[in-house]
Amino acid sequence: MLVVVARGVLAACLLLFLQSPSIRFDSGRNLFLLENWSGAAQLWPERGKEVFTVSVDAPNVPPLLGRYRIENKTLIFEPQFPLQPGVSYRAVAKIPGATAPVFLLLRIPKPNMTPTTVVDRVYPSSNVLPENQLKFYIHFSSPMARGSAYDHVSLVDASGKKVEKPFLELGEELWDPSGRRFTLFIDPGRIKRGLLSHHELGVALLEGKRYSLVVSKEWKDAQGRLLASDFKKTFTVGPADRNTVDLKSWTVRAPAAGTRNVLTVVFPEPMDHAILERELDVVTEAGAVIKGGVSVGSGEKSWIFTPDAAWKSGTYSIRAGTSLADLAGNMIDRPFEIDVFERVDNNLDRTTRSLQFKIN
Amino acid sequence: MTAFRITICAVFALALLTSTGVAVQVPDTLKAGKADLKSAGAMAFGPNGLLFVGDSMGGMIYALDTQDRTASQATAVEVTGMTGQIAAMLGTTGDQIQVNDIAVNPVSRKTYVSVSRGLGPDAAAVIVRIDTAGKLEALSLENIRHSSVVLPNPVNPSTGGRGGNRRLQAITDLAFVDNRVFVAGLSNEEFSSTLRAIPYPFTAVDKGTSVEIWHASHNQFETNSPIRTFLPYKVNNEQTILASYTCTPLVKVPVSSLKPGSKVMGTTIAEFGAGNTPLDMIAYNKGGQNFILMSNTTHGIMKFSADGLEKFESITTRVPGTGGVPFERIASITNVAQMDQFDAQRAMVLTRTGDLRTVALP
Repeated sequence: MLVVVARGVLAACLLLFLQSPSIRFDSGRNLFLLENWSGAAQLWPERGKEVFTVSVDAPNVPPLLGRYRIENKTLIFEPQFPLQPGVSYRAVAKIPGATAPVFLLLRIPKPNMTPTTVVDRVYPSSNVLPENQLKFYIHFSSPMARGSAYDHVSLVDASGKKVEKPFLELGEELWDPSGRRFTLFIDPGRIKRGLLSHHELGVALLEGKRYSLVVSKEWKDAQGRLLASDFKKTFTVGPADRNTVDLKSWTVRAPAAGTRNVLTVVFPEPMDHAILERELDVVTEAGAVIKGGVSVGSGEKSWIFTPDAAWKSGTYSIRAGTSLADLAGNMIDRPFEIDVFERVDNNLDRTTRSLQFKIN
Repeated sequence: MTAFRITICAVFALALLTSTGVAVQVPDTLKAGKADLKSAGAMAFGPNGLLFVGDSMGGMIYALDTQDRTASQATAVEVTGMTGQIAAMLGTTGDQIQVNDIAVNPVSRKTYVSVSRGLGPDAAAVIVRIDTAGKLEALSLENIRHSSVVLPNPVNPSTGGRGGNRRLQAITDLAFVDNRVFVAGLSNEEFSSTLRAIPYPFTAVDKGTSVEIWHASHNQFETNSPIRTFLPYKVNNEQTILASYTCTPLVKVPVSSLKPGSKVMGTTIAEFGAGNTPLDMIAYNKGGQNFILMSNTTHGIMKFSADGLEKFESITTRVPGTGGVPFERIASITNVAQMDQFDAQRAMVLTRTGDLRTVALP
């Protein structure tokens, strides 16, 4: 008899336990569920936060943004954003009439943090850069995290000493849409102008000296992982380049008609990689653009065009956007800086320039 | 990162008009629906609770109807650990968000904070509103009256897809002046200064006009380097853009000279010192005198008189360190990451440690 009673009490306790309100996290659907609470059926979803909240497990923080809904007598909270690996969350249900709140403490484990991302390449690729070099493009193998770029790039001289504040540090950080290419400008105030730099820190690069652009492996990628290795690009500094980009100095190596052979445009100096990729095209005498693929040649000193269809004999032009620039930011018909005031108004009035060639 | 967005006169006018219930004459072309911002960066208030937001990742400018039009007389706001609180709302930690800008609604005095949730290219755009009691709430972008305009990306249209079309225009500042939205941008490829003026209400066909502003920098050379922050301000009753650049020259350009497609020579009226980037500018009146307050990355807070700016000649010769318009360093306000006007006597600042608070204008 006693055993039967004990069993009955146990079963009742178990039933009571099973039917007590409880919180569960559905990781597959990113949902917090308040289950076994009969009051859910009578609750308007928009009043869900009066009963059930989820927050980061920290003192005095507001609850997570998200939406409430009721399904099968279960009050569901769907956070607006996926939970963050490595962060702990506290879900609390204050059931009306209950003596104590119901809790769930949830820690989202950190994913594998083994570094795999590396610096793929840096442009300019040349090992000799002008004294008034304007920028670098740093390409990564995976998307990177924003917000700390300038803490992880440095310019060091041949003795290993860091050049102080050589870069233009912009809060926006100049990334491409994929987060894999970072544009790093040298502070124009640190670029030698004319005879002297104005800046009290002096110029960043001096002709005849050797420097390294160093990327620290402490820089994190978009997954929060460090880089797999440090990266260093060493270069020597040549004379400043204050000449405009001049189409007349280019050499066009035209293929034969009837072939799909490449057309190559050779420049006397390296060009800005990113702008070169997009600012040239080939047009017919009537102005129609020839379709094809483009690659940038070694040292950014050539532009290689492969047509989709075989060349026909005739007269063509290389059409160049006037924002095409060399390593010092000198553009077509426009140097990076102008030292004669009157020239500002005489500036470019056209957006493209053309260089004719024939295919026979 | 943005400057005070409306001239001081305009703010008073707005406050007056809205508090008396008279609508400001801006045609309403907003439509309800999801404002699909790819990023939320520089912000500026227009009339009637209209918030302009720069979306650099999407290459767009949005006009959002915040429906926040109730005037407030609040005088002080303080939210300690604002960045951490916003991060917690977004289910993450302070090191996993970026605060991109703050803008104070000149009527309600609520502070709007543009945030990236996440640090990678897929970071979500969030705008958080903080009331004068310090309470945080998200501005829902799911169903909000809005309109938008696509900023032209000056990539050669025939070759634009090459190289994965990696060119982006970071929107560094914007302002609403006389039914136009002025937008300063900075490309991740070219180093140039383009100020775009876009008529509001936005239309599909009129994406505004762009103007290159050149200025003397440090000595006789001229560059068209990018504008970091600018302030629309009436200099001697002439609507002017006061633009500041990296290395901190201050350049004035009359709005009337900003003709479509033109190249304009700005007048460099001050050099505030190299090795520094200006962040925000606000204009105010104190004791009958007009001032401009400028926050900077390394030079802290500077204050200079805004009276008689028309009298300063263009700096065309070498300046040893600083020169032109005299300024005063304000030691009482430090550690400022973002700044906007709160009211006639106060600024709202976000500190580099993530605290939001009002401070008295010096």
